[in-house]
Amino acid sequence: MTPRQQLRTMKLIRAFETALAVRRDHGFQLLSSGEEAVAVGLCAALGAADQLLTGGRSIGFALARGLDPQRLLAELLGKSTGLNGGVAGRGHVNDAASGFFGAHAVVGGNLTIAAGLALARQLAGEKSIVAVAFGDGACGSGALHEALNLAAIWRLPLVFVCNDNQLSVSTPRKYALAPAHLADLARPYGIPARTVDGMDVEAVADAAREAIETVRSGRGPAFMECLSLRFASHSTTARETRSKPELEAIRARCPIRAFEAKLIARGDLDPAQVTDLDLAIAAEIAAAAVFADASAPPRLDEALANVW
Amino acid sequence: MSGEKPGKPNTERLFFREAIARAVREEMRRNARVIVLGQDVGAFGGSYREFDGLFAEFGPARVRDTPVAENAMVGVGVGLAAGGFRPLVSITYMDFLMLGLDPLFNYGAKLRFKSAGRMTAPLVVKTTAGAKGQGVAHSQCIESWLMGVPGLKVVAPSNPADAYLLMKAALRETGPLVYVDHKRLFPGAGDVPLDEEVGAIGVAQILRAGTDVTLTAHSFMVRVALEAAQRLADDGISCEVIDLRSLSPLDVETIARSAQRTGALLTLEEGQLTCGVGAEVSARVAERIGPLRAARVGPLPAPVSSNPLLEAAVVPDAGRVVAAAKALLGARFAAAAEDAIITNEGGGD
Repeated sequence: MTPRQQLRTMKLIRAFETALAVRRDHGFQLLSSGEEAVAVGLCAALGAADQLLTGGRSIGFALARGLDPQRLLAELLGKSTGLNGGVAGRGHVNDAASGFFGAHAVVGGNLTIAAGLALARQLAGEKSIVAVAFGDGACGSGALHEALNLAAIWRLPLVFVCNDNQLSVSTPRKYALAPAHLADLARPYGIPARTVDGMDVEAVADAAREAIETVRSGRGPAFMECLSLRFASHSTTARETRSKPELEAIRARCPIRAFEAKLIARGDLDPAQVTDLDLAIAAEIAAAAVFADASAPPRLDEALANVW
Repeated sequence: MSGEKPGKPNTERLFFREAIARAVREEMRRNARVIVLGQDVGAFGGSYREFDGLFAEFGPARVRDTPVAENAMVGVGVGLAAGGFRPLVSITYMDFLMLGLDPLFNYGAKLRFKSAGRMTAPLVVKTTAGAKGQGVAHSQCIESWLMGVPGLKVVAPSNPADAYLLMKAALRETGPLVYVDHKRLFPGAGDVPLDEEVGAIGVAQILRAGTDVTLTAHSFMVRVALEAAQRLADDGISCEVIDLRSLSPLDVETIARSAQRTGALLTLEEGQLTCGVGAEVSARVAERIGPLRAARVGPLPAPVSSNPLLEAAVVPDAGRVVAAAKALLGARFAAAAEDAIITNEGGGD
């Protein structure tokens, strides 16, 4: 991904989530606005054959992995043209053929499955690796210790990516987790670990490339902690517990505006191109909505399909 | 098919553990993607030596000792299965499977559905249930918890032949399956087909024909059922014994046909009666053939102590089955039923 593609993808995620959130027919959604740089920075460093598992907050990662916005939107709106025929939906959407093994809505549930997928690749002698993204919330679960330990003793080709957005639903990280830095959780296992600014897409991409290179070379797992900020409440139906001034300060640190300004300052982008980019993305989102709205819901007998 | 009578032609006499090992060995030879993972499955050969010889033949990559981390073991199994392998994850005791239910229920059993059929998790979780002196958290039979999970199959063999045949079938399944054996089955031997065979999942077996009452059981309780049936026969009651073998799917057809013939259904299990296997069997049969005389026999609604006296007091035995059958069959046997020390009352009623 070029820097301009990274900017485009971050903008696509923001526009997609914004358009989704204003609809009234999506049930509820877990938005990642503010955390786009983590998803895009990580996916910029992943190869096509690599596999990504996420937690429930997965829209940003799915789009960054290159999934079709039309089919993703259709999936989230429960349409038969969705990536999973509209049966998976929010928190469970998946497209393993595209390197997106999928969302896992039980916090911490993706960690050990990722270790199993990584073991499968190791046993098959494949060069591709597995990345597992999880929030700071998952760092309070025992599954993380079990997965770190197994990854270390078996030298699994697995990158742990902690998207530390500071909140578990409403509970601030300081009330839930003892370690000052979550990257410290990996160190006792001998797993190389870094803390990076998750609001800086290039910093995330650099750290991800370094981690993935280590893992791909057969030296075992790596861990990265991305310090990010969640702009919205836990979900579109969850109460916001942060104060207005606090939210304003958080939203002022927009990773997209920051990167855009950086690219313009560097001479990699001019303001006219930004306008073109924004218009193209708006058109893409509008087309996704048209596609999803024109799609039929699944037949009711789909409820019994693919169970056994 | 199953070997109750020793010396049947074209069979070999195997201990229960040997029957499991043979099935896994054959499947590992046949399919390089079959992997065994668990605590002490390697050079140690499994807690009941049910994986004896596999480590020597297939090596540490395919017969893999793991940390004591059941949640991770089942999760790794789901990931391995989704990644193209056929893992057999050994969870030493069924009580410990509780730690692995998140990956099993939430991910393994749902993978095919949520991916609209594009992914599957052909994972076998093998675990040992039942009371044998090990106390409150090493004795439980929680297979009924698993029966209501769409996408998850459950089998529970009662003899070495079925241990072999069902393990062969399990390792060729398309989705996740829990294979439940029992501590008290391991010392037993039986006749196992000499030729390679694969069992059928979802098929119960009538082990003893009878006309007065249908008695269902699975796993070790099948032996208790057969003993009870013999004692009932001595008292002039003809008891048909059905080994369920597969709990999900459940062979309702075979049980219902039998119950229709006999007109009475008695279920027996070592796990708790409330929302148990017997409750499910009775309800499904009644839905199929209409109201019938039915009763459940199970343990007392209490934990299983490691004290052998208390363990024996809780776990059902043939005497209790005999008393329950007589009570079920009516006035002719009412006096005998009243003699029973412990009545059949479900937990939490």
